[in-house]
Amino acid sequence: MTPAKTWRFWLVGLILGLWGLQILWLIWHFGPEARDLVQRAARGDVGGAIRQEEPLYRWATALQGIIPESATYVFLDDYAAGKEIEVRYYLAPRRHILWSPKVPASFLFYALHQEHAAFLLIREPQRPLGPGAQAALHSPAFQPVNLPGPGLVFRVDASRLRWGFYD
Amino acid sequence: MIETGITLLRLVLGLGAIFCLGYALLTLMVPRPRDFSVPERAAFSFGIGALALTLWMLALTWRGVPFGLAWILGPPLALAAALLLTPRGRRAVREDVRARRLRPPVPLSGWDWLFLGLLGLVFLYALPRAALYPMWAWDAVATWGCKARIFYTTQGLDLICIDAHNYYPNLIPLLLSYLYFALGQVNDSLAQVIFPLWGALLLGLLYSLALRLGLSRRSALGLTAFLALNGTVFIVHLYIAYADLPLAGFTLGGAGLLYLWLAGAAPRGSLTLAAGSLAGMAWCKYEGPPLAATLILAAALTLAWLRPAHWGRRLGQLTVPLAGLVVGYLPWRLFTVQQKLEIGADHIQGFYPQQMVQGVYHLLAGLVQPFYFGFLWPALALALVLAGKRLWRSPMLFLALFVGGNLVAIVLAYAVAPTAAAEFPGYVRATLDRLLLHLTPVAALLLALGLKDLNPGAACDPERQNPGLTINSNPLSKI
Repeated sequence: MTPAKTWRFWLVGLILGLWGLQILWLIWHFGPEARDLVQRAARGDVGGAIRQEEPLYRWATALQGIIPESATYVFLDDYAAGKEIEVRYYLAPRRHILWSPKVPASFLFYALHQEHAAFLLIREPQRPLGPGAQAALHSPAFQPVNLPGPGLVFRVDASRLRWGFYD
Repeated sequence: MIETGITLLRLVLGLGAIFCLGYALLTLMVPRPRDFSVPERAAFSFGIGALALTLWMLALTWRGVPFGLAWILGPPLALAAALLLTPRGRRAVREDVRARRLRPPVPLSGWDWLFLGLLGLVFLYALPRAALYPMWAWDAVATWGCKARIFYTTQGLDLICIDAHNYYPNLIPLLLSYLYFALGQVNDSLAQVIFPLWGALLLGLLYSLALRLGLSRRSALGLTAFLALNGTVFIVHLYIAYADLPLAGFTLGGAGLLYLWLAGAAPRGSLTLAAGSLAGMAWCKYEGPPLAATLILAAALTLAWLRPAHWGRRLGQLTVPLAGLVVGYLPWRLFTVQQKLEIGADHIQGFYPQQMVQGVYHLLAGLVQPFYFGFLWPALALALVLAGKRLWRSPMLFLALFVGGNLVAIVLAYAVAPTAAAEFPGYVRATLDRLLLHLTPVAALLLALGLKDLNPGAACDPERQNPGLTINSNPLSKI
């Protein structure tokens, strides 16, 4: 074997050696998830049962019975939290409009009126609410819906939204 | 128990219908499907079947026909039956059945068992992980899966109630919604099995292409395991409902067939099949059309550089894959115009040089970080160095141009991305692995060409069989 070929085989051997170590690392990396998978499969709590562990899912499922499929709702949440997309997924095909919890009242009320939104959902009411959500809590156009879960639900009567300056 | 069995049966029948439709179309596109190996036929049947079925669903929406299993499956399956009853279709089926009877068992060696075992381990984890857990990954819930759910519940391509990149192509959402119709319910965990299935088909295609490039069975299996078990990205995409793995599969199909065509080693009908792959790329993801266009561009540049015999005529033959790109792109583009869907301008708003510099750094880091793709990209760099002059004196140049050109394109895309400086690293983190995934199977194919030199015993080396693969001459390619 020529020196050049020897070098090639050394390099290939090095790559293959590193790959072997990397496979061991992959087994370690995916190990916890694989263990969880095996345990869940053994218990039989897979598929929809995994979702049932999520309070947000149970809340959204209950909302499916309250919000008609043809209705529009406004959801107050931070996009980056990743919960808004989950609720939108569970409530599809209901029309979904996202606003930040810090939204000013004028923006929120305009959106509710303009989009004919029938419901307002606030996912994290325990966090400090912005002026829009505060105004909604005190407006007669918003009727609270008694639904246990992580968030607040209001039925909106857009015709009762008075126009003016709320901020 | 019986209900679970019926659900699984409906899933198998739903997937089987895709294969059946795709196989029937294959007999139409290719003069002799037997020229393609079983993994190739399986991969292209599923890809072409999924493409045709979802484009048909788009056509149904256009005509105002509400989705239902009878309308979604009836006409395509009738077409498939008609195609399989033609003399050409009957001959293809007959040859397939006969070949299965005649095939002698091939003994596997120790290394073969090891590589097959590793691949089996991947799917032993990924398949139940996809099928037993509900849909959860960000884009799956925010875009692909959400649309699929809406298309199922509204029985059409209804985008009024959602604002989630509505202009994105819809192969994946429509395919998932078709499976919901097949299952008779929204069962997003079971429908996710198409992703490990697509991954298995991709790996089978890579294995088969590696054999065609001249690798021994052991090396081809090793290469396939090297792609599947290098870093976390490929494995994770086997069980999340993203469009990136299917796009990678279509890209590998298109690139592999175009390479074989350039090398004069392609089975007849390869250009037509490559056109189907490019159509799949365009209909699969927003990044698909530019990626497909770069495949054609790289092929044209390779022909212009190598100047094989009749290279001008062969340049003209590239209109076949170009037509595929148009077929995959145009229907959805016309639909968006008709429906007045807003096309996102979120990718090009300005040029930010500092992002380009950072983009180069992040890209290089992503290529060498074992977390993403293990040692595959460093191994490719090594293989390219070892290839020497062969890189620009053979059709290997095509794959290198495609991969290299798209790495440059990724950096340019980051340079025009409209993100705040503080958000830019997060933006790169959220996208780079997926952009590289589109290219990685083709990178593995390029690696196979590099490995060939270390594998002198290979029997079916197309470059050695066809001296015209080099810069000096090139034989007439079979279309």
